[in-house]
Amino acid sequence: MAETRKTMEPILAVRDLKVSFTTPDGDVNAVKGINLDVRPGETLAVVGESGSGKSQTMMGIMGLLAANGRVSGSAKYRGREMVGLPPKGLNEIRGAKITMIFQEPMTSLDPLYPIGKQIAEVIVHHRGGTRKEARPRVLELLKLVGIPEPERRIDSYPHEMSGGQRQRVMIAMALANEPDILIADEPTTALDVTIQAQILKLLRDLQKRFDMAIVLITHDLGIVRHFAERVVVMRRGEIVEQGGTADIFGNPQADYTRMLIEAEPHGRKAAPSDDAPIILEGRNVVVDYKIDGGFLKKRANTFRAVDNVSISLREGQTIGVVGESGSGKSTLGRALLRLISSKGAYRFGKTDTSGLDRTGMRPLRRSMQLVFQDPYGSLSPRQTVGEIITEGLYVHEPQLSRADRDKRAIAALKEVGLDPAARNRYPHEFSGGQRQRIAIARAMILKPQAVILDEPTSALDRSVQGQVIELLRDLQSRYGLSYVFISHDLSVVRAMSDYVIVMKDGKIVEEGPTDAIFSAPREDYTKTLIGAAYNIGP
Amino acid sequence: MLAFVLRRLASAVPTLFIVVTISFFLMRFAPGGPFNLERPLPPATMENLMRAYQLDQPLWRQYLTYMGNAVTGDFGPSYIYKDNSVAELIGKGLPYSVELGFYALLLALVGGVIVGTIAALRQNSAIDFAVMSVATIGVTVPNFVVGPVLTLIFAIVLAWLPAGGWGDGSLRFLILPMIALALPQLAVFARLTRGSMIEALRTDHIRTARAYGLPAKSVVVVHAMRGAMLPIVSYLAPCAAALLTGSAVVETIFTIPGVGRYFVLGAINRDYTLVMGTVVLIAIFVIVFNLLVDILYGLLDPRVRHD
Repeated sequence: MAETRKTMEPILAVRDLKVSFTTPDGDVNAVKGINLDVRPGETLAVVGESGSGKSQTMMGIMGLLAANGRVSGSAKYRGREMVGLPPKGLNEIRGAKITMIFQEPMTSLDPLYPIGKQIAEVIVHHRGGTRKEARPRVLELLKLVGIPEPERRIDSYPHEMSGGQRQRVMIAMALANEPDILIADEPTTALDVTIQAQILKLLRDLQKRFDMAIVLITHDLGIVRHFAERVVVMRRGEIVEQGGTADIFGNPQADYTRMLIEAEPHGRKAAPSDDAPIILEGRNVVVDYKIDGGFLKKRANTFRAVDNVSISLREGQTIGVVGESGSGKSTLGRALLRLISSKGAYRFGKTDTSGLDRTGMRPLRRSMQLVFQDPYGSLSPRQTVGEIITEGLYVHEPQLSRADRDKRAIAALKEVGLDPAARNRYPHEFSGGQRQRIAIARAMILKPQAVILDEPTSALDRSVQGQVIELLRDLQSRYGLSYVFISHDLSVVRAMSDYVIVMKDGKIVEEGPTDAIFSAPREDYTKTLIGAAYNIGP
Repeated sequence: MLAFVLRRLASAVPTLFIVVTISFFLMRFAPGGPFNLERPLPPATMENLMRAYQLDQPLWRQYLTYMGNAVTGDFGPSYIYKDNSVAELIGKGLPYSVELGFYALLLALVGGVIVGTIAALRQNSAIDFAVMSVATIGVTVPNFVVGPVLTLIFAIVLAWLPAGGWGDGSLRFLILPMIALALPQLAVFARLTRGSMIEALRTDHIRTARAYGLPAKSVVVVHAMRGAMLPIVSYLAPCAAALLTGSAVVETIFTIPGVGRYFVLGAINRDYTLVMGTVVLIAIFVIVFNLLVDILYGLLDPRVRHD
């Protein structure tokens, strides 16, 4: 089939497409003249890291650039030029012939209208008729994308549905007018792995059924390998390499492609000896969240986020805590550090921390640190990097002189592989990976014994992810650190931890040494999780 | 929904009680009294007046009496407008203030939203800057300047409209005071609308609407505007309460027999009961409009629906 497609006329032919943005610092060229074809019924993956221009290419073709963006060159849909087409002409193509689904299922639907109404709006706009007449078609579409009880759900609002369901609704909207091309921009990046596998399977089934082409924009090579027929690799606004999926993975030509493929985290961590002392422990941890009842309301409900979980971290150990969103893994991390109120027995080293209040915990804080997921939100934009990383020293080593603090800042930045000159600059001047290094420096400057790493690599590109993992492993072996590594990303957990805890709905599903969990999972949920992460698609 | 309304009304009772109590004592602790005139009254007369209005009683007893009467709707006699009770004064003036305030509110809301939306859609263009500069002027120029200027131009120079008074209550008499009253609020609505529209137009679901080929009109009106209305609706409550209970300045300039003057006159003359009556009136308006706005909010946004 791929052979016959090669000779087919492309339905979308992109030639010398450029996208640029006017900014106060001058023009930024996001896409620098690329050529690509989309052939009928095929799946073309556009792969690249953040800033490669993969999304902006599609936004430019579809006339969806931000107000300061410009597109030039040519993009012909069945011979009709889309670049420079006035909105009226574009509106005949978008939503009918070419449709899109986006990365953000939570916000891509209008929160103020029922989902059925939003799908019907798209049908009515392109095909005429009334919203009432479109209703049976909407029901049919909801059934098609696997929304349970479509008759009831058709009148639901987006906020009443989960992320996976909302993405299904978006897919229903995309299919409503039987398009030729579906552009899927990171369609599963914001979803849990098990949901991700379901959505990809759905897309594949629907593609066969309707014989539409899918342009899959993604940074995830695992998905590409199992899903796409052809691959375009983009970097800094240019196409580095393109070809059949098997060729690209089997025999990559460009260094960049090779680097991307090899950036999958690898390596293993050996377990510490069994007699290594316990550094951080929580027994029978229970965390309840109150759901506020409000003034003059009957009763407040409670939600059990962590349900009777026990964990003991030994010196030099890394425990990976794995789970999907809402499994309670981050809450568990905060409870262990005594940052939120929780029940259970806690210990740090030889100190019983169960009954300690904020003041009691303070002297211990320097030895137990936390690194967050979001390298953009967790650093104050109004402080210099030097101020950010030395802030903890004011509390824990107030006797230090200004010069001493500066020395420590230089050392900490060197340790995480940053230029010490960085301490006089502000966070926004750094990339995501560099910011995460700053966050790690902030934790390391206090010379902690245990560090809770809460999804420290999830917001980063794969290649950067690998470097941060290397750094964390390096720091661990140099200082004998102990980590609790919280993540939804199984391949990263596998490379980082020697022991794994799998959580679901606040409870431990399964736990054990990393290799045992990955090679011989006992519980069905663990098997699903691993299956979904490593064998996407059939 | 009904339970929500009842619960909110029930919680209004303690609010009103606290407002009335605080104003009662604040008023009494202010120096002077209703009968301290420029030419002092003879002590005997003063004593008689004080006795007649029970102002010689201990403060706590006066408070209890006032509260007891207020519950039954009796807000006492006015000390200055001698032949009228406070309820009569307010009852007579309120319809004028409410009618004028309603038109002013309508003008401010509709005008502000339209102007703000145009500015948002043409963000950073000449129109945007022009509209927003005018809006800034609208906020900063006080209505005791706007009122006389309007009168000068339209009533005296051009002689199109009457300079003041209520007349037969026809629109001709209302136009100038309505504009003077609405202008600052219109400017606030315009600024609010512009800000929230710009934000709304940047959301992901607007990108979706555009990606699905919906025409600009339905993207703006159906999808962006409804979400952008939420902050405007929040401002509606205090604004409506302020406009409908009258403005001392505008009513004085245009000699309109509304209730707006009473608060200022009452405070200046230490007309205790009149001030208290006005306070209760304003408090009730604020409470009722906040409730209406919360209901409206639920209708606009399904995520905060009360059931």
